Amino acid sequence: MYRVRRAWAELRNEVLVLPSRTLVLAWVVALLALPALYGDAYVMRILTMTCIFAIFAASWDLLAGYTGQVNFGHALFFGAGAYTSALMSHKLGITPWATIWAGAAVAMLFGFLVGYLCLRLRGSYLSLATLAFPLIALGLLFAFSDFSGGELGISGLRRLTLTPTANYYVASISMLVIVFGLWRLADSKFGIVLHAIRDDEVAARASGINTPLYKLTVFAVAAAAAGFAGALFAHYLRVAGPSTLEVALSFQVVIWGIFGGVATIYGPVAAVFILYPLTEWLGTFRAVGELRLLIFAVIVLLVLLFMPRGLTPWVRDKIETQCPRCKQRNGVWRKACRLCGAALQAQVAGAQRLVGHQ
Amino acid sequence: MLRSIILAAATALVATAVQAQTIKIAILGPMSFVQGENHWAGAEMARDEINKAGGINVGGKRMQVELVRADTNEIQSVPDATNAMERVITRDKADFLIGGFRSEAVLAMQEVAMDYKKIFLGAGAAHSKLGANVEASYERYKYWFRVTPVKDTDLVRTLFAVLNTIAQQIRTELKTDMPKVAILAEKAVWTEALIAAAQKNLPAMKMEVVGTWQPSATATDVTAELSAIDRSGAQLVFTMLSGPVGISVGRQMGERNMKAVAWGINVEAQKEEFWNAAAGKAQFVSTLDTFSEVEMTPKTVPFVKAFKARFKKAPTYNAGTYDAIMLLKTAIEQAGTTNADRLVPVLEKISHVGAAAVLEFDKRHDPVWAPGKNTGLAVQWQEGKKVPFWPPNVKGMQPFKMPAR
Amino acid sequence: MLQDILVTGLVNGGVYALLAIGFSLIFGVARIVNIAHTAFYMLAAYCFYALLVKAGLGFVPSAVLAVASVTLLAVVCYRLVIEPVREHEAAVLIATIALALIFQELMLFSFGGHYLGIPSTLEGGVRILGVSIPYQRMLILVVAAAMLTLVWFVLYRTRLGLAIRATANDLEVASLMGMNVHRVAMATVAISVALAAIAGVVVAPVFVVDPFMWLAPLVTMLAIVVLGGLGSLKGSLIGALIIGYVEAITVFAMPAGAYLKGAVALGIMVVVLLARPEGLFGVAFEEER
Repeated sequence: MYRVRRAWAELRNEVLVLPSRTLVLAWVVALLALPALYGDAYVMRILTMTCIFAIFAASWDLLAGYTGQVNFGHALFFGAGAYTSALMSHKLGITPWATIWAGAAVAMLFGFLVGYLCLRLRGSYLSLATLAFPLIALGLLFAFSDFSGGELGISGLRRLTLTPTANYYVASISMLVIVFGLWRLADSKFGIVLHAIRDDEVAARASGINTPLYKLTVFAVAAAAAGFAGALFAHYLRVAGPSTLEVALSFQVVIWGIFGGVATIYGPVAAVFILYPLTEWLGTFRAVGELRLLIFAVIVLLVLLFMPRGLTPWVRDKIETQCPRCKQRNGVWRKACRLCGAALQAQVAGAQRLVGHQ
Repeated sequence: MLRSIILAAATALVATAVQAQTIKIAILGPMSFVQGENHWAGAEMARDEINKAGGINVGGKRMQVELVRADTNEIQSVPDATNAMERVITRDKADFLIGGFRSEAVLAMQEVAMDYKKIFLGAGAAHSKLGANVEASYERYKYWFRVTPVKDTDLVRTLFAVLNTIAQQIRTELKTDMPKVAILAEKAVWTEALIAAAQKNLPAMKMEVVGTWQPSATATDVTAELSAIDRSGAQLVFTMLSGPVGISVGRQMGERNMKAVAWGINVEAQKEEFWNAAAGKAQFVSTLDTFSEVEMTPKTVPFVKAFKARFKKAPTYNAGTYDAIMLLKTAIEQAGTTNADRLVPVLEKISHVGAAAVLEFDKRHDPVWAPGKNTGLAVQWQEGKKVPFWPPNVKGMQPFKMPAR
Repeated sequence: MLQDILVTGLVNGGVYALLAIGFSLIFGVARIVNIAHTAFYMLAAYCFYALLVKAGLGFVPSAVLAVASVTLLAVVCYRLVIEPVREHEAAVLIATIALALIFQELMLFSFGGHYLGIPSTLEGGVRILGVSIPYQRMLILVVAAAMLTLVWFVLYRTRLGLAIRATANDLEVASLMGMNVHRVAMATVAISVALAAIAGVVVAPVFVVDPFMWLAPLVTMLAIVVLGGLGSLKGSLIGALIIGYVEAITVFAMPAGAYLKGAVALGIMVVVLLARPEGLFGVAFEEER
């Protein structure tokens, strides 16, 4: 009973006080309750794919947003996870529940490799070098086509679970766990170091931080998450093909990441949840359907013009303000900070606050 | 309030009643591309023909055919294709599914269709894995039938038959005993078996293989390969190309005034736009094809003529959706039901005279290859037109031409 | 075979050089990784096709109009889309990706997904060192060489070029010295895209034109500029020649491995980066202010 009251107190004091956290809670609840309310197989398929891509996008943000290693070839890890899980379950007969972890592990190895190769690269050099890796991997896959299935990939994979609802829960719960885990990681001291590396790696090194170790770790973690997503993807579609390594997929995750807001983890997830169903929905209309990539790109451009830091920072700034004294966030309607009591809005009408946000 | 509820209920009732009168056939394909366009065009021709004649007779009741158009975007995204498949089955409540093109996507789409136990007729993907699935797991995959093209390993048989004919012509005209053949195949899984078969069988067919070149399917420049082929002295270039490299080959062979003639699979060369895409240079390029104004079956010429009149261009093999729908009509009328489980055995034993060929299915639900029934035909580009030249005994065939030496 | 490699490598290298130098220029001056660079190349090819085949204009007017209109479009796009978000590097990046996608979809919508062929400007060929080279490819080489010389001239012998180089070197100081940095940036965009457009016009008749033709050259071009060093024009030129030759060698020496030429080129880029993280002639940038 004590636990229940404590949980309720936590809920009221930590979560419901802030609109952004309330939104997240509502979203989690909606996600988990969806099959009970609206069991349409098509909608669940779309949302399963969305959840898988959300894991992928969140992992990119950890790497690119927090650590500044803007990875243009993130699809390599996705494809590595997909192919590993596919090969192991198809050729060796191991159950998919085990092979998805193997997929994540192999992707992690690739993460170490790419991270190591890119240790000395900075900025745009890093981005463009990472673009090369999935393409080299594609070349290798085509070279060893007996093993990898060439342009067809590996098909006839076993499903993780049999019903659409079960698949949906596997995807959404994995997504919630992984995204939450990544967010906690990013919000911890580890994340602060990552920020330091992004902002000024030389200064971080000078402060005694072992930046290569951190960079390698981040590459590995992000790759593992992306590989896990890739494995889920392969077993859901029952096909693991070269489309998991395409340049288009790498670009797509960059768009999601930046559109949603870098260095937030939840930003790219929001972007995927908004953009993927939107483009799919647009595709159902005959007149518009063939133009949906165009509309997608136009939306991205327009949003960028008005919200250059991404969607979620902009939305967050509209619904919350930051207290000038204690730097904690408050709902925008509040007049005084909920924690330290400082005045949030100007006391005199029309006066400007001299100390601004951020 | 109550009135609007009653009205809504009544409309829904009428709508479902009306719906129950039609058979919904979903056409799935990459609609922004030539393949999807042909899928849809062939289907429209079938639908209009059937509905004008009164619809399909399902056990005594006449039902009209209604088409559902689904853009799979499979060339760019495999998940989009499976999403589209799921949508037409669960949202649009399609009874039958026809289409597909990119083998990787069709494999994934097949899984979705088999999950829902819906009959899925393939009209574009040649990969034999689709049929192998039927043999390996009959109960699950039995709802899949491939209408067009014949599976990749059967295409080989036509290829070799025509190759023999051309080689004979080379022997006579160029007075050489062992024609030299250069194999130009794109690097892809589907060409592996073909290359191996060629390398093994050509010497036995009294032809010499002077080399094998494998450009990428999307290569836009084949100068290197063609220079080397020139140097090897080959008289025939045996092509296995499905991507835009086929256009580059046609064009660059013409630009270099190569004396060798190209025969094989060149999917781009099957399209009307090929001549312009190759800037008018692809004279003498020949390829396997499906539709031409020749009497492969009694229905071929009327179909091709009607297609050209309506859509102002010739059909590609994807317009086999016409045959697929007509096949369904025959099967449904024979079985007296649209129930998938009862239709499968009927389809397995059927022999349907289509516009492209006579359709019969083997135990992998692949179309049976047989001369006189279903072999495909061979065409050669001459002066901007696709001229059919094989099988020679069919009415309408014209002679094969070679570059002047 | 050696002659084949020499000649093919040179021609390919010339084409890549046209693309790479433009890209390098924009990056050096404006610090913009313009993913849409090859998309402009594609637009120019389509424009040339439309004017030449559909409207029936002659080669020279079609070419000039195509290059001019694409350059104009690029400057307009720069003003409307890129300039407002200049400070946010990440936003610029996906703005250019989005632009490239928009162009691709527009071309797909207007011209369809099938491949188009543009008639060659010059017919026939010539035999040099036993290698038969179509005149069109010689034209590409000649145009590439001419453009590169022109760019060199503009950059090193005119005031505008001086301003461009100064801005590339140090943006703030150039601004302090009284150069209108915005105008210089726009001029750079114009020159860079004009180079890409010219590449599109001369190269398109040799290759096939389709809405996705911008992706493959993009990757190769990125490999080249990275290899040569971002912002270094000399590096881009040498990188282009290296990659052109590597691809030619891969195709001629390994006929069964021709499809690997892209992967090999990228592999070389990775190897070079391991040894020299700034590319061959690149300058390691200090943290930008």
